[in-house]
Amino acid sequence: MVSAGASSLASPDLSTRVGPLRLQNPILTASGTFGYGLEFAERADLHRLGGLVTKGLSLEPLAGNPPVRIAETRGGMLNSIGLQNIGVDRFLSDVLPGLKDLPPKVIVNLFGYAQDEYVRLAERVDPYEGVAAVELNVSCPNVSKGGIEFGHDPDVLSGLVRRVRSATGKPIVVKLSPNVTSPQTLGRAAQEGGADILSAVNTFVGMAIDTATKRPVLSTIRGGLSGPAIKPLALRIVFDVAREVDLPVIGIGGIETVDDVMEFLLAGASAVQVGTALFRDPRTAERLVDGLRARLRAEGVPSVDSLIGAAARPG
Amino acid sequence: MAAVDSRGEVLDVQALPLPYFLLRARVAGMDPAEPGQFVMVAGANRPEPYLRRAFSVYDQEPGSDGSLVISLLGKVIGRGTEALAECVPGERIPVLGPLGTGFHSVADGASTSGRAALVAGGIGSAGLGLLAHALERAGRSFDFFYGGRSAEDLVEAETFRRLSERTGGRLVRTTEDGSAGERGLITTPLEAGLRAGTGYTTVFTCGPHGLMAAVARIAAAAGIAGEAATETPMGCGYGACLGCAVTLKNGGYALCCRQGPVFRLEEVAW
Repeated sequence: MVSAGASSLASPDLSTRVGPLRLQNPILTASGTFGYGLEFAERADLHRLGGLVTKGLSLEPLAGNPPVRIAETRGGMLNSIGLQNIGVDRFLSDVLPGLKDLPPKVIVNLFGYAQDEYVRLAERVDPYEGVAAVELNVSCPNVSKGGIEFGHDPDVLSGLVRRVRSATGKPIVVKLSPNVTSPQTLGRAAQEGGADILSAVNTFVGMAIDTATKRPVLSTIRGGLSGPAIKPLALRIVFDVAREVDLPVIGIGGIETVDDVMEFLLAGASAVQVGTALFRDPRTAERLVDGLRARLRAEGVPSVDSLIGAAARPG
Repeated sequence: MAAVDSRGEVLDVQALPLPYFLLRARVAGMDPAEPGQFVMVAGANRPEPYLRRAFSVYDQEPGSDGSLVISLLGKVIGRGTEALAECVPGERIPVLGPLGTGFHSVADGASTSGRAALVAGGIGSAGLGLLAHALERAGRSFDFFYGGRSAEDLVEAETFRRLSERTGGRLVRTTEDGSAGERGLITTPLEAGLRAGTGYTTVFTCGPHGLMAAVARIAAAAGIAGEAATETPMGCGYGACLGCAVTLKNGGYALCCRQGPVFRLEEVAW
């Protein structure tokens, strides 16, 4: 327990260190839920975020999957966007200049169909100071090849991370798939390859069927489930990964309330990414920054640091 | 034009009767919508459904203190629309808008001459409300083709009759059961009208996908330009989730919420 004291009157310290990254607060936006960042400038106060993770970028622009791409389910949604994106070059030339001087750290999510593509992507972004870290998407459930294969085989994953490691000095975040028996095994593999940070988790593979047409709702049949429905599942994985892998973890999965943020921190996450909740309310992330500060102050908790992993320590 | 994300105060919800309803809400700081634009809305304080729903702005008028009073014409088809139909006056509901790209030929000020044909299928009339008002104000003549399964599906027929008649046009109705207007599909009188060379220069449509696809074919055959207000499932309404892809004839995809919801008829791979 953290005791309330004189510090309860001071403003709590929201800053957090996630491996080599120092963030002004632990609230980031998740890849694929915040565009490239600038789209949100008129709907959200970007300055107040701890960081933002871009939509997954590939070497060439991708058109994405045919409709129907999304389906709402109880407490969440399925998506099968298919990594539609503008390509890394356009991001670096057109978008990054508008983001790089903002306080939130910019983490660039990278996606390839082959190991070599990840390496080339990492080389491409490496010279840009505005890129604080790269997040490797090795767990997208919505593309037929590449991506997910790298995230499901420990040997392949450690080899991939090792190659990316040699291509960039930027901190490497590896985004883990929940669709494996033991995410912590993949987390260890990422660590062996030289990853600095793990983010957990990507979406859970699911599906929905239209009872009127008697056909799957999504054009790709399967999609990734996100939203509040997955929070307890994601939390369990973050807890296990944080305990069993000696790397900082960024928690992701259905986060919408201050309580959700606290749970992920207590489970061992050093920061969190907010995703689907942004669709419901574009200001969710900044609301969580304010809410977390108020909550820590009310409880007399001096810093975010003191919460991290507290639930895993012997009571 | 910036969209506001605001709490709208529900003024009233009229059953037309159900499953159709007309919800009016006062939204502080919201800019007027262009014809064809939409808002993302949800019921008050409801955890479910999780995502907001896209609604065309059907009508609007200035409210007190710089607010905007918007009217949303809807049909209860699921949890999201039900949540809105069940709103009570005084409740505060999230409203994000106006969003999307409306009818280009209105925004551009182009094609303002000649008669227009507005073609609605059922609740698709909601997407043509502001357009009908704009044409009427601009003094441009239009006929309103309104098709539905049954008479109760032609929910705002009298409004569109009044507006079209003020422009020297008329309301043409069809129902599949013959309970109002001619029995059959609305594309039959539309096709006859466009063939007859009655001076139509533009077709605007909103309704089920099959209707809009048919209107696109008929308009192309008649050599008449047109636009459609499309609808897809939407996650966010403002371009973040990339969930609302519309397939274009050129093989690419456009986002319904940003490049749309209004597209030129010939752009879309129907």
